[in-house]
Amino acid sequence: MSIMQYNGGCLVGMKGKNCVAIASDRRFGVQALGLSTNFQRMFSVSNRLYYGLAGLGTDVQTLSEKFRMSVNMYKLKEERDIAPTTFASLVSSTLYERRFGPYFSEPVIVGLEKDDTPFICATDLIGCINFAKDFVVTGTSSEQLYGMCEALWEPDLEPEDLFETISQAMLNAVDRDALSGWGAVVHVITPTQVITRTLKGRMD
Amino acid sequence: MAPQDWMEAEKQGAVQHAFSPYTDNGGTSLAIAGEDFCLVAADTRQSEGYSINSRYAPKAYKFSNGAVLATSGMHADGHTLAKRLDQRLEWYEHNHGKKMSVGAMAQMLSTILYQKRFFPYYTFNILGGLDENGKGAIYTYDPVGSHEREGWRAAGSGGSLVQPFLDNQIGHKHQQSPQVPITLEKALKVAKDAFSGAAERDIYTGDMAELFIITKDGVHVEQYPLKRD
Repeated sequence: MSIMQYNGGCLVGMKGKNCVAIASDRRFGVQALGLSTNFQRMFSVSNRLYYGLAGLGTDVQTLSEKFRMSVNMYKLKEERDIAPTTFASLVSSTLYERRFGPYFSEPVIVGLEKDDTPFICATDLIGCINFAKDFVVTGTSSEQLYGMCEALWEPDLEPEDLFETISQAMLNAVDRDALSGWGAVVHVITPTQVITRTLKGRMD
Repeated sequence: MAPQDWMEAEKQGAVQHAFSPYTDNGGTSLAIAGEDFCLVAADTRQSEGYSINSRYAPKAYKFSNGAVLATSGMHADGHTLAKRLDQRLEWYEHNHGKKMSVGAMAQMLSTILYQKRFFPYYTFNILGGLDENGKGAIYTYDPVGSHEREGWRAAGSGGSLVQPFLDNQIGHKHQQSPQVPITLEKALKVAKDAFSGAAERDIYTGDMAELFIITKDGVHVEQYPLKRD
């Protein structure tokens, strides 16, 4: 029994042409018992920066509250929005602070930089950042997501195509993991808008 | 041991050392059953831990009745199992005067595996061939012989990466595709893309994939090079 597989859940982030997308499933359970079909594991920092947390549910919630506090303090002091790379470093240092008693959560961060360049990254549970140029995955179905993304992703997908790609990656991957699924949500972020869609998938 | 396992490790206390008869040689295999063909494929890399033992150690075996067995897990057990099956196929031909059908071979493999229920063959098998109606047939097994006939399956270290991709492309899951049976051309494309993807993200998969194409005209083998890193 691994602590990272106690509650279940997964996330995927992808880069597109002048856009990024992030998707998560909605299951929350205690081992084999499913409890919630609308567990929130994606959060917005601004309308250009989103992140998600997979792993132990309590740490997902605690970390999201800690990040909300840190970002609000940043905004008050700096009088500007936090940049994606800066937020990634904030996440990394917050996790490393607990190096020898870590939060059991692995985040995925997606957003647009000041000049609208797409940005994605993920970290492990102690804050090691993976700056990917294609996609990032995390959670109990990370292997399944790796397989789907590696096969389906191609560079420079337009927002509508990126949505289809990330959705197919999520839906097919979670169907091969007992601890993930029970619904899915996708955010597609472009310089002008964020489109949020709830996917229809298998509820078993 | 990953950081997330360190909390559990404290509870182990004294550690006992013993000889383990098993090893994991890694690798990925897959099979797709079509209307009039069957595709069975496996990569050829053999690993142990972080080392590569061989870049060409095939783990798919062709049999005299036109069936192909793809094994993954422990190479020694897979190879020995294939030898046993070869022997049993030969005995069957001498005793019954005909080649063993794929369905009969499938059932036999299950009993052979279960006979070692308490010291199993450490292999995750997929058996492919044409059934008695000429349709593609694949049977998937666990190490002790639990089996069922399926349309597509991926196994091995990259199995969890490849399986959802097959579900999507062969089974048309989460898609509204016209219900046409899969063509050999599409199956080959999907299989090659699947191996390429697995080779990218799974360290135990790579070097080369051997694809066995089974049709009424026999078994044709195709070699598809993969990344060697």
